[in-house]
Amino acid sequence: MILLQSPSRFLLQILHDRLLSQDKGVDIDCQTVEFDDVRYHIQVSMRNPKVLVLSVALPLPPEEAASFDGLPFGAIEAIKAAYGPVVQILDPPKDGFDLTLKINLAKLPSDEEQKNAILLQIASIREVVLGAPLKILLKNLSMKTVGPEAGQPVALVHRPNESFFVVPQADKATVVYPMRFLDSIDIVLATSFLQEFVEARRTAALNNAPACMWSQSPPPELKGAPESALTANAGFVTFVVNPRHVEGKKLDRTVWNLLTFHAYVSYHVKCSEGFMHTRMRRRVDTLIQALDRAKSDAEKLKKMVTGPSFKKWFVI
Amino acid sequence: MVNFISIDDGRAVGQEVHDPHPHRNQLANPSNPCESIPFSLTPTSPLQSTSVPPSSRSPRLNWSEQIDTGSSIYSHVLLSISKDSTMANTIRLYLTCIRNTLEAAMCLQNFPCQEVERHNKPEVELNTSPELIMNPVLICRNEAEKCLIETSINSIRISMKVKQADELENILAKKFLRFLSMRAEAFQVLRRKPVQGYDISFLITNYHCEEMHKHKLIDFIVQFMEDIDKEISELKLSVNTRGRLVATEFLKQFI
Repeated sequence: MILLQSPSRFLLQILHDRLLSQDKGVDIDCQTVEFDDVRYHIQVSMRNPKVLVLSVALPLPPEEAASFDGLPFGAIEAIKAAYGPVVQILDPPKDGFDLTLKINLAKLPSDEEQKNAILLQIASIREVVLGAPLKILLKNLSMKTVGPEAGQPVALVHRPNESFFVVPQADKATVVYPMRFLDSIDIVLATSFLQEFVEARRTAALNNAPACMWSQSPPPELKGAPESALTANAGFVTFVVNPRHVEGKKLDRTVWNLLTFHAYVSYHVKCSEGFMHTRMRRRVDTLIQALDRAKSDAEKLKKMVTGPSFKKWFVI
Repeated sequence: MVNFISIDDGRAVGQEVHDPHPHRNQLANPSNPCESIPFSLTPTSPLQSTSVPPSSRSPRLNWSEQIDTGSSIYSHVLLSISKDSTMANTIRLYLTCIRNTLEAAMCLQNFPCQEVERHNKPEVELNTSPELIMNPVLICRNEAEKCLIETSINSIRISMKVKQADELENILAKKFLRFLSMRAEAFQVLRRKPVQGYDISFLITNYHCEEMHKHKLIDFIVQFMEDIDKEISELKLSVNTRGRLVATEFLKQFI
């Protein structure tokens, strides 16, 4: 799985199971954590088998990305637009969570395809809620209008206590990510990965992709940003998004990809480290085999004939 | 005190170092030819005169050996490689030089400790008695890669410095060599911590030589060195390939 998937498999599985088991089945009360500090808590009680209560906790926003009532800007409207009557927002949210929804399975459309589409959409709650401000900015871009923040960097949350910046303009939107990693090895691997992004963009096949740049120091687009956001140990990545990347059906996919860019790079850095460990273990085995060949046959015979218990006896 | 052998591209670098302790090479057992003459390096390619034209592809081997009668022998090997040769040539020469040095140096015998009764310690690690330690040999491929071979009567210590061109190779080499050093128990001849200034070290004692065939042990050391280089370059390649693939997949999403 190279790309990160938008619908959460955990939620999708539970929703499908609930639909299949209709009036039978047991009470469900499950919690799970996803990457970047997003927590889900889903509850179903047999007294109301058609109703699921889903609570979502979002990553802690840093100071520059202020949130309105604990949710990103435009989240509530986005939820209402995406789910319609199937989902109802409960206010106040459950303790320890930022958002609680009541999902009424009885109100799902009867058409199989539409039902699956709505379930998929519910499982993508993360994209809907966290991506709401980004979606608004990019929708403005596709309609070639600008909101009040034209030319100024807007801080949006994608990781706990970290934000990325979007500079909306009439004809393009510049997205800047300060990349930070905790481990020193991660930093070096991520830097080489990010430089590959720049190289890959230069190939002819990807001419229509957003322009991609990497620099060690903060780029000029971030001039209005607060100081704390300008330190990044793996450099700054800049994408220039054009209206053609956000028209029609592409908008959702673009929002998800931009929202989870840092998580994507981090995921692949970790995969790369895991692969290196596997390789190194294999190489160690090969070398030990080479060393075994160096042992004389007399030694090998001795080792085969006398077991470890025999040696122990000799020591005493 | 160090015999300095340098393999260098285009330049001949080598120094003859005078040994201030000539008695070091007079060992207790003169009958063993290996001990009285520390190194008789035999080049695998025959002696060639220096009048070989520079356009020829084979490396020119300038070989001069000075024998100081009565005391020690020091030799220096100048390998001036013609400018057309590729990096692949130098690694072969470097490894051959190491192999020949090891073949000459690995003459180990059991030697109980002189200071403490009933103890048997690897003398190269202790470095206490000058009559038991032989001249160390430093073989340099270039400024970044070198190999130090220190011999004593019952043990030999081989330390290597691996080439690290950029930041990525640096961390890959460090990670891989730490991985190997932690498994020193399984390797038996590997030292848990490298000697100061080097990346990885081996310690071979007379017991290892008794258990294992000497030529196979040397094969193992040389193969180990080759494998490290190969592994680090393959790891770097895999990181770059993965980076390219990841970037392409991501950017394709926008088209």
